[in-house]
Amino acid sequence: MLDDITEITPDFDTGDRMRLPRLRIERRAIAWWMLRAFVLWGVLLAALIVAATLWEPARVWLTAPIVAVGVIFLAKLLVEPWWRYTVHRWEITENATYAANGWLVREWRVAPSSRIQTVDAVRGPLEQLLGLSTLRVTTASSYGTVKIRGLDRATAEEAATRLAVVAELSEGDAT
Amino acid sequence: MNGKALQPTPPPSATSEDGEWRTLSARVIWVDLAQSALSLLPGVIAIYLFGIELSLNTLWPFALIAVVGVIGAISDIIRWLFTRYRITDTEIERRTGVLVRRHRSVRRDRIRSVDTQAKLRHRLTGLRVVTIGAGQQTSSGEAAFVLDALTRHDAELLRRLLLREQSAATVHVDAADASTDAPAAEDTTAKRAEQRGDVEVFATLQPWWVVYNMFSIWAYLTAAGLLWGAFWLASTFGVNLFDLATRFVDWDQIGWFGTVVIAIVGGGIIGAIGMGVNFFTSNWRFTLARARVADTTFLRTRRGLFSTREVNRDEARTRGLSIGEPLLWRWMGMADTNVITTGLDLWDTTEPTAILPRGPKSVALDVATRVLGEPCPINTPLPRHPRAALRRRLWWATLLTTVAVGFVAIPVATGAAPIWVLWAAIALWPLALAAAAIAYRALGHAISGDYLVVRSGLLSRTTSALRRDAVSTIAVRQSLLQKRLGLSTVSAMTAAGWSTYEAPDVATSEAVSFAMQAAPGLIDEFLDSRRSLHEI
Repeated sequence: MLDDITEITPDFDTGDRMRLPRLRIERRAIAWWMLRAFVLWGVLLAALIVAATLWEPARVWLTAPIVAVGVIFLAKLLVEPWWRYTVHRWEITENATYAANGWLVREWRVAPSSRIQTVDAVRGPLEQLLGLSTLRVTTASSYGTVKIRGLDRATAEEAATRLAVVAELSEGDAT
Repeated sequence: MNGKALQPTPPPSATSEDGEWRTLSARVIWVDLAQSALSLLPGVIAIYLFGIELSLNTLWPFALIAVVGVIGAISDIIRWLFTRYRITDTEIERRTGVLVRRHRSVRRDRIRSVDTQAKLRHRLTGLRVVTIGAGQQTSSGEAAFVLDALTRHDAELLRRLLLREQSAATVHVDAADASTDAPAAEDTTAKRAEQRGDVEVFATLQPWWVVYNMFSIWAYLTAAGLLWGAFWLASTFGVNLFDLATRFVDWDQIGWFGTVVIAIVGGGIIGAIGMGVNFFTSNWRFTLARARVADTTFLRTRRGLFSTREVNRDEARTRGLSIGEPLLWRWMGMADTNVITTGLDLWDTTEPTAILPRGPKSVALDVATRVLGEPCPINTPLPRHPRAALRRRLWWATLLTTVAVGFVAIPVATGAAPIWVLWAAIALWPLALAAAAIAYRALGHAISGDYLVVRSGLLSRTTSALRRDAVSTIAVRQSLLQKRLGLSTVSAMTAAGWSTYEAPDVATSEAVSFAMQAAPGLIDEFLDSRRSLHEI
């Protein structure tokens, strides 16, 4: 059925490529991601195990989910933080904010300064504990937010101020 | 604060920017009084014409109708008494509410749309409900600025005033009789406007489009609603339809299979007819036109039989257009046409972004060409994506089937679930593989003039053309499997429409250059410099 399709072979030498953003994130972010894995997946795993112990008839249905959640928990605890630390990078220039994120799914995201609507430095409870901050740069698109996680608190605030000035300068209603 | 708001009513037709506080049309009160009277009517008919016994059991539905109707009417009169609006040079303001006073003002230069709607009661009394849209309010989920209701004449004047149509307004006032709602008057104004050359009609309702709107799974819901309504109505008059059905038809003879067939076919027919009638009442006299006023153009749709709705979409806010083709009806070329624009709510059940009713693809393409201009980006030939994209989908289909089988395997093995559950899970596989192939064939992307064009989707294959200068954020995404297969997903984010438009599974070598073209100049400074030097 699909034989008539001409295959385009990926040729990595000819295409344009993006370089990585210049700056890395704080090493403390590893600890943050590990704590987060405990809080989210550790608790869920514990709840499933408790349910399986207490509720006899449900045990047969809960075996597969417990194994699955267990595997996810271990991956989130032992693999994800280190992997993310090597991937996550960021850069803010006069014209744009550029961030690389992800682990299993990696993403390179660029938002132009001229379209910036709000700049926030957000700190959740775990981040406050570790002195970290997430920089959130939103554009008029509800999906277009660039998040830079694992920044030092002072760095994030300084970057937020700088971006706010840039955004102020650009004209139009940014849609 | 209220002292000024409760000044005596100025002459009703004076809709101008003099900054005077005005009331809504006094006819609203007459409508409310009529509504109270009408809501008592079913009970009166039931008692006097059908001689229904006077007891709580038989009369509660009528009492409920009457109470709801009268309370609704009274609260509406109170709302009318306490609502004022005014137009100044820079703003339009509205005060409303009894216990909680609300004061809303909208800057006139922020107004993006002025829509008029009329339910049957408004049409009979020559009233119009005016909804004023300023994009930020709809996106933050606040209630819209609604004036319910003005006379048709005032609504028209207000619309023209707010959309800076003063010059055209005078012509219109001569032609339209404020007190009537005769179609003839509408015709003459429309014709005059066309003669002046500022309205260009793109499409009008073709009755055979009803075919595209009769067959869908919703037909059964419609049928269920209709049948339940008939059953309920008959039972309040002491007739049990279910008994009648069992008395005249021998269901034992037909058997359960026959019963199911009758239910499916009969329900389908009733539902399809119901949907067809609904299509005509809501799209009666549908027209899509481009109205040109001074330096602004609007895409204007008008439709409706009992309740009419007119939507004006500022073309300066339009960022593109998308055509969706539902999977089950692709063979008959069914298409949904929507504009990609800022300031209109996609979740609105009245679908303000739809510029055509569901209809044939040829009409949709024709309209797309006239809206976006020649050459139409939607028509751009889109080359197939790499075969690896098909492999990725096949892997995912297989993985999902495996997960489903894995989930039921232990319960089936221990006898907690019957064996057919396992077979059902396995039977998912061929279905998932077929879906993977269909989804793969839907993929496409291209750059066409000022637009980027992307196509994808399994259940609704959607082709979207988005203006390149409207792209704000651009993202290139790659999962582990995509990396192995040499694929990347490019997303263009924008303030309009669905906010993100994706080209899934582009060849990695091509992804960055597509992203570069999709958002001109944005990512140039982040390109691999070694590559650029090499090029020089």
